[in-house]
Amino acid sequence: MASSLYVHIPFCAHICGYCDFTKVIYNEEWAFSYTKSLLKQLKETKIESKLKTIYVGGGTPSSLPSSLLEEILKELQPLLGEEYEFSFEGNPENLTEEKLLLLKKYGVNRLSIGIQSSKNKYLNLMGRAHSFEEGKKAVELAKRIGFVNISVDLIYGLPNETLEELQDDIDNILSLGTPHISTYCLSVPSGTAWKNKGYEEMDDDLAASQYELILKCLREKGFRRYEVSNFALEGYESKHNLVYWKDEEYYAVGLGASGFTNGERFTFTKNLTSYINNDYEGERERLTRKDMVEEYFLTNLRLEEGFKKMDFMEKFGIEEFADYIPHIEYLKKQGLIEETDDSIFATDKGILLLDRVLLELFE
Amino acid sequence: MSFEKKYIRNFCVIAHIDHGKSTICDRILENTGAVEKRNLGTQMLDEMDLEQERGITIKLNAVTVSFKSKDGNEYVFNLIDTPGHVDFTYEVSRSLAACEGALLVVDATQGVQAQTLANVYLAVDNDLMILPVVNKIDLPSANIPLAYKEIENKIGLSTADVSLVSGKTGVGINDMLEKVVELVPPPGGDSEGPLQALIFDSYYNSYRGVVVLIRVKNGRVKVGDKIRLMQSGKSYLVTEVGIRTPKEMPTNSLECGEVGYLTAAIKDIKDVFPGETITLEEGGAEEPLPGYRKINPMVYCGLYPVDSQKYMDLKDALEKLSLNDSSLSFEPESSKALGFGFRVGFLGLLHMDVIQERLEREYNLNLILTAPSVKYRVNLTNGETITIDNPSAMPEPQKISSIEEPYVLASIMTPKDYVGAIMQLCQDKRGIYQDLIYFDDTRETLKYLIPLSEIIFNFFDRLKSVSRGYASLDYTLEGFRQSDLAKMDIYLNGDIIDALSTVVYKKSAYSRGLAIVSKLKEIIPKQQFEVPLQAAINGKVIARTDIKSVRKDVLAKCYGGDISRKKKLLEKQKEGKKRMKAIGSVEVPQDAFMALLSIDDDGE
Repeated sequence: MASSLYVHIPFCAHICGYCDFTKVIYNEEWAFSYTKSLLKQLKETKIESKLKTIYVGGGTPSSLPSSLLEEILKELQPLLGEEYEFSFEGNPENLTEEKLLLLKKYGVNRLSIGIQSSKNKYLNLMGRAHSFEEGKKAVELAKRIGFVNISVDLIYGLPNETLEELQDDIDNILSLGTPHISTYCLSVPSGTAWKNKGYEEMDDDLAASQYELILKCLREKGFRRYEVSNFALEGYESKHNLVYWKDEEYYAVGLGASGFTNGERFTFTKNLTSYINNDYEGERERLTRKDMVEEYFLTNLRLEEGFKKMDFMEKFGIEEFADYIPHIEYLKKQGLIEETDDSIFATDKGILLLDRVLLELFE
Repeated sequence: MSFEKKYIRNFCVIAHIDHGKSTICDRILENTGAVEKRNLGTQMLDEMDLEQERGITIKLNAVTVSFKSKDGNEYVFNLIDTPGHVDFTYEVSRSLAACEGALLVVDATQGVQAQTLANVYLAVDNDLMILPVVNKIDLPSANIPLAYKEIENKIGLSTADVSLVSGKTGVGINDMLEKVVELVPPPGGDSEGPLQALIFDSYYNSYRGVVVLIRVKNGRVKVGDKIRLMQSGKSYLVTEVGIRTPKEMPTNSLECGEVGYLTAAIKDIKDVFPGETITLEEGGAEEPLPGYRKINPMVYCGLYPVDSQKYMDLKDALEKLSLNDSSLSFEPESSKALGFGFRVGFLGLLHMDVIQERLEREYNLNLILTAPSVKYRVNLTNGETITIDNPSAMPEPQKISSIEEPYVLASIMTPKDYVGAIMQLCQDKRGIYQDLIYFDDTRETLKYLIPLSEIIFNFFDRLKSVSRGYASLDYTLEGFRQSDLAKMDIYLNGDIIDALSTVVYKKSAYSRGLAIVSKLKEIIPKQQFEVPLQAAINGKVIARTDIKSVRKDVLAKCYGGDISRKKKLLEKQKEGKKRMKAIGSVEVPQDAFMALLSIDDDGE
């Protein structure tokens, strides 16, 4: 049974060239109607027990005005149990003191702040609306108000970015002193402004070197890469995101939001007009056994700790596990995964080549 | 059924690809009332799906219709369709030989094209009455005066009898048919003479054997006749004759001047080549009709199933296709890299394409094609001469005294401006200059002898690119000539991949070797280890590149909404992987083997 909830706020003050999440430019009228429709959808969602995690993501949730934010937070807070993680995403340019205090008031205890880079030339290129200095101020402000569990993003693999620039970037990001850092290699999905402009993704060889640099620097500072792209000091892993990577179920509300309940994955409509008219339905996929096994690998192997063999066998049976042994042996021989008495996990090399590991495991 | 010869008109339609031949044929069928509009597919005569999709006619066909002329008489029209591509020149010439007249379709928006001319020459060779038809006059871009000028200057025909039509709207079609009545001569021949019937096409029917399309030139043929094919010498008993309307309609006999079909329990289509003459076993003709030529494949390639379990399926499919295609030949062969497959001979690259598509589509096969090769004559030091159609069968260099390769006579018609660039291209392709024929103020025809292997190696695309699409190409096989050739092998991860071996001209071996390994580097995905790629002649490496090992292949972000999407992407990739052939420990995509065709030989 699900005990996590994802809430999607699609509005952004402006659109970044590389983003392929469901988003729209902020508009007061839409934001008002959207909030109403979102809360209606939340009310209709049959949440059966107290939640352990809530994640408000986007878009840019902090682009909403305080009044609408408060309406939403007010409804979310009572859903939480005693022990919880309540995350909220925001961008430096609109994470104001007023909004931070509001978040604090309604129990938000984890912030994810979109810093992306410490280089203003790259921030400009990406079309971000903030400088690194503003990002730094936002983090300081959040800390001052009492937020401890803060995550920042770092994007690498930028056009013509050198290893020296990245090293400097890592140092600057580390200097913010947050206990969680997400690092993403820039991808240029089709349909984004960058793709249309002809930007290319960094050559995998260079991107691998950049990733390895990040891994080395962050490990030196005591961070653990608990997932492909996520680093945390002990105890600061994102509990909500771990739900995805442990292939557990979760509720979702919002435009284009995806959820996973009762063995069914679904994504609500990405059409804002439909959503505002309370027409939420999008796509639904009832998972077959094959889907479930594939998704189990796809998610769990992203974690540095991999998965417990017992857990797999409890879910899918010992025979299913036996079927995979030859493939597991093959991958072990290639140095892509390792096996201990109770776990199977990807090696450093295997994590970088996870798609190939998964292709071997997919039937 | 028997008509007086003077009421018969046998004609065909000649047109460049896309100039609207099939549409005009359909209009003729409508206007003659032979088939009603509702029964028409978009283009009646192109029976195969593939032909309809590609808009080109591959197999010939013939249909008999009746036309009520304004002179009050009812005429029988035999409309014989011709294929429109350089691969099928001989088949075109045989269908022309079955006619007395030809409608020459010229696109009012494009004028006369080289391919049209090639077929006009064929028609002239066969003494046909040529009636020019300017099509697509309904289009705003139609330039009728220019079309007239080109018909006069380029083809050398009078414009007095030009028909102006639109195949699309049907305008002018009826007047055009009146001109056929008026100007195309009725068939000649001697009704009482010994039987001579020309075979111009055939197809296989599983109940009746091979159905042969014929034009009776002299005498008559009827059910029960004992016939003999004059070239092959084989005899058969006629079981059925008839006409196609286009449905087959049995008749008692086919008379002198008529066009129709015949069955005689002929089991193998390879026994009835187009151009053969049918006569009677007793009291038959002394001489066959002129013009027969045995058609031989020009281009060969290896065909292998990606899944080696499908070898027998491929064999069955090839057998079925060859039932209806006498120009398709195949023999089993094996490759170290690809396993068991077939060496298949084709008339040309288009023919190869069509067969590949039919095998994949109609027989659901997943195929690997190796780069096409021509036939080489290898003179050995011991005085023997052998012929090979697979480069990997080339003997060791010390046993070879010389190698000969087929040359074609290429006719390239082009606007004047591109003559220089095309001559350069022909030189690059080892062409031997023959002639430059002045056509009119704007166009010229270049004639070159060029090795056929150079023609199939990216020539057509280069020609189109240096002439901005204006030049057109026609070629006929000329003969074998000695060349300075050698076998080039490709090593992948240290092993020879026999299916990638090619015969190259020694002087361009280095640049071609480099181009091939570079192209393969693009096509073969990165593996987890570095893979060297080398090109070598006689074991000497002349070009090398390395496929670097992959270091990063992972999705950066994988949150709730990404999971389904990523799973589907991986499943798709997995499907793609099934289409790859594992050679040693390297996964090679299907198209790697054809890559040799699409590279520029300047090494870039």
